[in-house]
Amino acid sequence: MSTDQSKARVSVLERAGYRLLLDPTLGVQAMLVTICVVAAFSFPVFLTEVNLYNVVGSSIIVMLLALGMTVVLIARGIDLSVGAVMALCAAVTAEALLNGYPLTLAAPMALATGAAVGIANGLLITKLGLPDFIATLAMLGFASGILYIWTGGVPIIGYMVPEFYYVGGLTPLVGSVTVPMLIALVLALVLGGLLGWSRLGTHLFAVGSSEHSARQSGVAVHRVRILAYVISGLMAAVAGIVIAGRNTNVPADLGTGYEIQAIAAAVIGGASLGGGRGRILGAVLGALTLAVSINLINLLGVPSSYQKIVIGAILLLAVVANRLSEIVNAWARRRRLARAPVDHEADAPDLGPPTVPAESLKPTRKALR
Amino acid sequence: MRSGSRLMRILGTTGVPIAIALVIVILVFQVLSPVFLRPSAVSNYLNNGIPILLITVGVAFVIVGGGIDLSIGTVAGLSAGMTIWAVGAGMPTPVGVLVGVATGLVFGVVNGFVITQFGINDFIVTLATLNVAGGLLIVLSENVSLRGVNAPGLASLTQGSTLGIPTSFWIAVVIFVVMQFLLMRTVFGRRLFATGVSSEAATLAGVEVRRVRFNTFVISGVLAGAAGVLLASRLGAVQAFLGMGYEFTAIAGAVLGGVSLAGGRGSVWAAVVGGLMLATLQQGLRLNGVDPVYFSIVTGLAIVTGVVFDRQAQRLVLRRNVGGGPAQAVGAHPVAPEASHARETGVKS
Repeated sequence: MSTDQSKARVSVLERAGYRLLLDPTLGVQAMLVTICVVAAFSFPVFLTEVNLYNVVGSSIIVMLLALGMTVVLIARGIDLSVGAVMALCAAVTAEALLNGYPLTLAAPMALATGAAVGIANGLLITKLGLPDFIATLAMLGFASGILYIWTGGVPIIGYMVPEFYYVGGLTPLVGSVTVPMLIALVLALVLGGLLGWSRLGTHLFAVGSSEHSARQSGVAVHRVRILAYVISGLMAAVAGIVIAGRNTNVPADLGTGYEIQAIAAAVIGGASLGGGRGRILGAVLGALTLAVSINLINLLGVPSSYQKIVIGAILLLAVVANRLSEIVNAWARRRRLARAPVDHEADAPDLGPPTVPAESLKPTRKALR
Repeated sequence: MRSGSRLMRILGTTGVPIAIALVIVILVFQVLSPVFLRPSAVSNYLNNGIPILLITVGVAFVIVGGGIDLSIGTVAGLSAGMTIWAVGAGMPTPVGVLVGVATGLVFGVVNGFVITQFGINDFIVTLATLNVAGGLLIVLSENVSLRGVNAPGLASLTQGSTLGIPTSFWIAVVIFVVMQFLLMRTVFGRRLFATGVSSEAATLAGVEVRRVRFNTFVISGVLAGAAGVLLASRLGAVQAFLGMGYEFTAIAGAVLGGVSLAGGRGSVWAAVVGGLMLATLQQGLRLNGVDPVYFSIVTGLAIVTGVVFDRQAQRLVLRRNVGGGPAQAVGAHPVAPEASHARETGVKS
């Protein structure tokens, strides 16, 4: 999306150069390929079909969450509750199956739960004016608290029905392709279409880029932001259904730590915390990059206790890289502007955000609330 | 509204409403269970609560500057682990204390540096360092034994008493007084309020906003380190997940006390009262046999209540200042208030 503005009045060659610098997904692809090449050369096991399918399979949960997170990030929000909501929805599915409901009813129940939490998040943020991450942090505590009280801290077990093994990906569908992979693919396509070609998608980017301008242009800002959280809640619910099938039991702390992985995947994929930037393809690749990195760490024989540190470090690197790409972005635009002074006026509306010093971005956001 | 304006003004002062609420809650719990105010029970619950109160004060500085620090909980846990490890390795108590505080300092510096120098969103950076610190504690606890350490010097920080009152209580009071002075009576404090109200206006008024914000993260880190030392002293052993979720309680306490998440408003004593409120609720619920799980729900509700109350109070202030009203809370109005107003707000709150 950010490259839209650079399309005008730049030679093809220059545009290719800028794209390389500016397009976040290209960076991720490069990173992913590098990690894969390193892994393939160091460990022959890496390239075996079993291992590759394992890696993809293990990335699905984070990928589903990252898809929803990307939508929220584009609208300049953040959803810290996804892990807890996923666990809650997993418990809803499991309990429904335990009580004899068919999967065709259990799944909608979980989806409804996710959507309800999304609406609650959205209302807290838009109507009560809570900061996004505080509202969703409170929702994290609330959802996991409910789950603890509901289950008494005892994992839910014994709910597996035959068709649920397919949903969890434990029984592959065709060859090594599992149902979760197909679900993730379809949802990624749907969300990609939504962001790229629907009115809601355009509105999401508009709200994320400048809430003030969006409101002035007649966008129903509150509704758009609530919908972003509903999408995130729904994705968490889908992830919950899948993980309930994959895990075959639902402990109360099932979702702990997933929110940071989802955010990391989305940010690696080029979503910006400043809003208005983000790509579905980026989120998919980001989740894969995380999964491949973890796989590589396991292959290296690093104890799994280091995993947390590594994920934290990857997230930190990703935001720094993201920020540097924004700085390059702003620098490139300024340079273009200096070279073609005639275009000043025509270009003027596009130039706003990056020329503003970083420190002043915050109060602007505050003022817009 | 107009007839009760004087009362409203007192009630609108940051920290006063929550202090009144705290007294009421204490009375209710005392009626429900008469052991509540027994000296041993009080000193016990203060001892339990003080580490989180220290974190609350630290994060209050960051929040007043318009930022957030999520890493404090696990940083406190890691500092506790480092302290126990140092003392267990045979170092004298003061060195152990230094190691703990230094751990917090390092994380504060890293947070502040990355956030202010790269201009990256503070909460994502501290979310990352939350994981790094938590992960480091897990690794530490797997590689060295963090229990069964015999350290009477360290233990005396919380278990000993001076003038009949637990030593940790004195430590906390000294820290709170110093911090309140720093926030309300120093140039740094003034600049911090100015930054929190509008960093743009503060920059125009000559405040080095980056340095001020950097300092808040250092303060928050150091106080998390101090909290870790007291945790180590009280527990005598550290398990791998110590400190997880403390940031949630600390932020809730600060917000409940009236520290505005929008930045620019709050005080140390208000944050302490807010934190005490949560500690009291936790203790009271425990004494009345309520499952501790409910506490996380109470904390969540506390944040929502605090923010809603803050907005109402702000609206009240706005209505009172019609005419010379500040643009600060009007929203959709990027004009910055004058720096003089920032100073005024700082003194008032």
